Amino acid sequence: MRRITTGIIGASAAVAAVAALAGCGGADSAAGGGDITLKLTDTMSETSAPIYDKIYDACASEQGITVESNHVAGSGLIKTVLQQASSRTLPDVLMLDNPDVQQIAASGALSPLSDYGITGEGFPQGVVDAGTYDGELYGIAPIVNSIGLFYDADKLQAAGIQPPTTWDELADAAARLTTDDTYGIAFSATNSFEGTWQFLPFLWSNGASEDDLTSPEAVEALEFVNRLVQDGSASASVVNWSQNDVNDQFIAGKAAMMINGPWNMPSLEAAEGLNFASVPLPVPSAGDELVAPLGGETFTVPQTGDAERMAAAGEFVTCVTQGENQLTMATGRGAVPSDSEVAQQAAEENPLVASFVETVQSARARTALLGESWPEAATQIYTAEQLALTGSASPADALAQATAD
Amino acid sequence: MQRTSTLRQLPYTLLGLVFLALMLFPVYWMVNTSFQGGGTAASSSFFPTDPTFDGYRRALSQQTGNLLTSLVVAIGTVVVSLAIATPAAYALSRFRLRGMGVFSFGLLIAQMIPGIVIANSLYSLFNDVGLLNSVPGLVLADATHAVPFAILIMTAFMRSIPPSLAEAARVDGAGHFRAFWSIIVPVSRNAIVTAGLFSFLFAWSDFIFALTLTTSDTVKPITLGIYDYLEGNVQSWGPVMATTVMSSVPAIILLVFAQRFIAAGALGGAVK
Amino acid sequence: MTTTATLEGRDVAARGDGLGGDHHGDRARRRARAREKAAQWLFLAPAIVYVLVFFGYPVVKNLTMGFQEYTTRTFYTGEAPWVGFANYAEVFRSSIFGTTVVNTVLFTVGSIVGQFVLGLLLALYFRRRFPLSNVMRSLLLLPWLLPVIAGTSVWKWMLDQDSGVLNQVLRGLHLVSDPVPWLTSPDVALLGVVIVNVWLGIPFNSALLYSGLQDIPDELYEAGALDGATGWKAFWHITWPNLRGVVNVVLVLGVIYTLKVLDIILGLTGGGPANATQTLATDSYRRSFTEFSFGTGAAVSNVLIVVSLVFAVVYLRVNRRAVDE
Repeated sequence: MRRITTGIIGASAAVAAVAALAGCGGADSAAGGGDITLKLTDTMSETSAPIYDKIYDACASEQGITVESNHVAGSGLIKTVLQQASSRTLPDVLMLDNPDVQQIAASGALSPLSDYGITGEGFPQGVVDAGTYDGELYGIAPIVNSIGLFYDADKLQAAGIQPPTTWDELADAAARLTTDDTYGIAFSATNSFEGTWQFLPFLWSNGASEDDLTSPEAVEALEFVNRLVQDGSASASVVNWSQNDVNDQFIAGKAAMMINGPWNMPSLEAAEGLNFASVPLPVPSAGDELVAPLGGETFTVPQTGDAERMAAAGEFVTCVTQGENQLTMATGRGAVPSDSEVAQQAAEENPLVASFVETVQSARARTALLGESWPEAATQIYTAEQLALTGSASPADALAQATAD
Repeated sequence: MQRTSTLRQLPYTLLGLVFLALMLFPVYWMVNTSFQGGGTAASSSFFPTDPTFDGYRRALSQQTGNLLTSLVVAIGTVVVSLAIATPAAYALSRFRLRGMGVFSFGLLIAQMIPGIVIANSLYSLFNDVGLLNSVPGLVLADATHAVPFAILIMTAFMRSIPPSLAEAARVDGAGHFRAFWSIIVPVSRNAIVTAGLFSFLFAWSDFIFALTLTTSDTVKPITLGIYDYLEGNVQSWGPVMATTVMSSVPAIILLVFAQRFIAAGALGGAVK
Repeated sequence: MTTTATLEGRDVAARGDGLGGDHHGDRARRRARAREKAAQWLFLAPAIVYVLVFFGYPVVKNLTMGFQEYTTRTFYTGEAPWVGFANYAEVFRSSIFGTTVVNTVLFTVGSIVGQFVLGLLLALYFRRRFPLSNVMRSLLLLPWLLPVIAGTSVWKWMLDQDSGVLNQVLRGLHLVSDPVPWLTSPDVALLGVVIVNVWLGIPFNSALLYSGLQDIPDELYEAGALDGATGWKAFWHITWPNLRGVVNVVLVLGVIYTLKVLDIILGLTGGGPANATQTLATDSYRRSFTEFSFGTGAAVSNVLIVVSLVFAVVYLRVNRRAVDE
């Protein structure tokens, strides 16, 4: 999922000013004399960057190299990557959001991780699928996430409702929790891949698939989500909300439940007076399997043409993505370690994450089925959702229209 | 030439204030939010009942460098734009050279090109010559916002300068450049200041080049700083709005001083 | 110019001599003229170079990209196979092309009308000198000075259907009974976006129109008043004709700039909901940077530039005729 957590680095004023005035850019460090300096680009935000930087430094010193990390905003990353690819100035280690790996790998810009002994063993199938293109593994994600159902425990208790486990229960709970100034549920149905991301668990858990969006199962899924808005249990503004906005609404008490991911934990925990908890998303009927989308950033090793540096980068990635680092990253950012055993450990240490650990085990990668052609299908999904939720077309027609092009 | 008393003018002032209030309400909201701590988008109140400077503190500690960068880039843009545009405006208003009409029309077309198109091409160009992540690079790029408009304004103004003024200098044997520098430029002061002001504002608020032509944090204009804030998990809108307020201050100061120079009246006839 | 004319005059006189005895003077004068022309070109040279590099090159590149299949692969391999008009065909055939064109026209017309009319009214109002009018005029420019992203974020809240301040006020004044879905309904979203764009555009318009008004001498109004032309008549017969020049510039530039608008719409609605605010500019961006189909993205932006061009040419031609009449 294209992460909202992005890079801002609080560069000290003096350094930035001097650098700006001196007009210096990303200067190449002296790589002579066997001293390797790797350039790394990731999408970590101001709050998460320090966590990662510590891990980078630890791995780097263990390996005897230096690593220069550069944090950029997630939404501008692909543009930068493409431009760097065309000018052959890709960094040595590149963080890519998992749905983008196939696209970039297809262009030939990444090197297979098997060259460095990274096989993805011990990682859930979904994680391996996400980073695999044409049978080769190109990106590996140390931590993953998905989405689940957060709820305000106080509000549910006051209404005497149990956290829902099926779609019917969800619709019912949302309706009963809706009051004059609170909506029962909030989610993101915006016209971007975020909206698609939030719709996928409904689509997949009902047995539909992204390569056949006009199937009856797909229509059912869209009809269900549409009903939440038509019934008034969810605000019509969901078509304009990002997941950040949804979180804001939940924290402000404007929604009793929300569909969102564990990366919001830090802000949820910081919110005063909010007694929240989370459960896996409800499934169509009791006993169905929940299939939620898999999120998380992968580390990749671009083709820079310098075999020595690429080998060093591969070794570095192996270190960064190992078990204990996964736990550190996961705890700091509100995510789930990829390695199943470490994940169990995390669930035990932080019960709030437990529902996501469960969800992730059966999560599916967005690019697993369609690979490079995923963006097209993703666009069709959010287009259809928008058409339906705004009342411009019935769910069946919406899906037909969206896939017609 | 109005000799009505100030008192009778007051109703106009009041109505003017109403218009101003309506237009500036969103600005008020920004300032209001900048003083509120830990608010989320959905829960800010109409008035900061519990004002805090926390937003400003965070903004100041993190964004001062970016503000400085923006300032340097904007000033550089003014210098470069005026250096290019003023002589060109003089030529367009005075000389009869072949192809000048085509050039003028070209300037108009230039303003039709979406910024993203220019930004993409400039990336590969700058990458080849090493101008990415640099202040000079941003200056040259931001000048694309400013140069055509600056030429437009100054050409229109210079056309209205009586030819005899420059001719007097030429007859005395001064070269074109001397006539230009010693006579035309001082006379066109208002137009130059106006063009410079618009150039500064265009560069100051530029976002597309800031986003595309930088790949690291070394050079980061303030618009990018705000963007980063908004893109991250925005826990608090205080720092975001505080940064916005801070980023408006230089522009406001400039405007208050230069307001009286805005001499765009001669624009009439600029586009033929 | 007089110097040149005099030179030419002397030249003619010299040639008229017919004896060819002044060749040396001839050549010297021609060299002087050449030097003069060269000096004149030097004034334009920096601008020409700048325009060619920073505008010409991107335009040419975009034009060629419209004829190529340009994807993420191209960025790495450099291969961009020529596909002729296939990109354009795909764009014109796509189901949202009609929508984007209509939205672009509506957005532009709505924005220009709003910005211009309100800008003119404000400029006219502030022509009168009253206490604080100068300060107020400067403050009116504030919307223009704020970073667009901050402006759109604030407006997004203000236009929020449930808790936005605009709906609260409208309901409080009993002007509407249900909250207006400003940015969430395909029927109203374009209007919402236009409102924000108008707000952003008023300062530019009013500043330019105000200085245009300043240039109209008071004597004209005094003379007109003697003939009984005041108020609306004064505006129609004195103000408007004298303002036409500035009005033309403001309108032409306004349309050209508005056609390009991208970040305002992206910040408010991202082109939605359901493509209700998708314009040619936002569609071009979407094709290039979310679908990574740069060829079609370039094709759409070329269409945009052509639309801009056609408008400018038509408008100027019509106006020239009107001026000549």
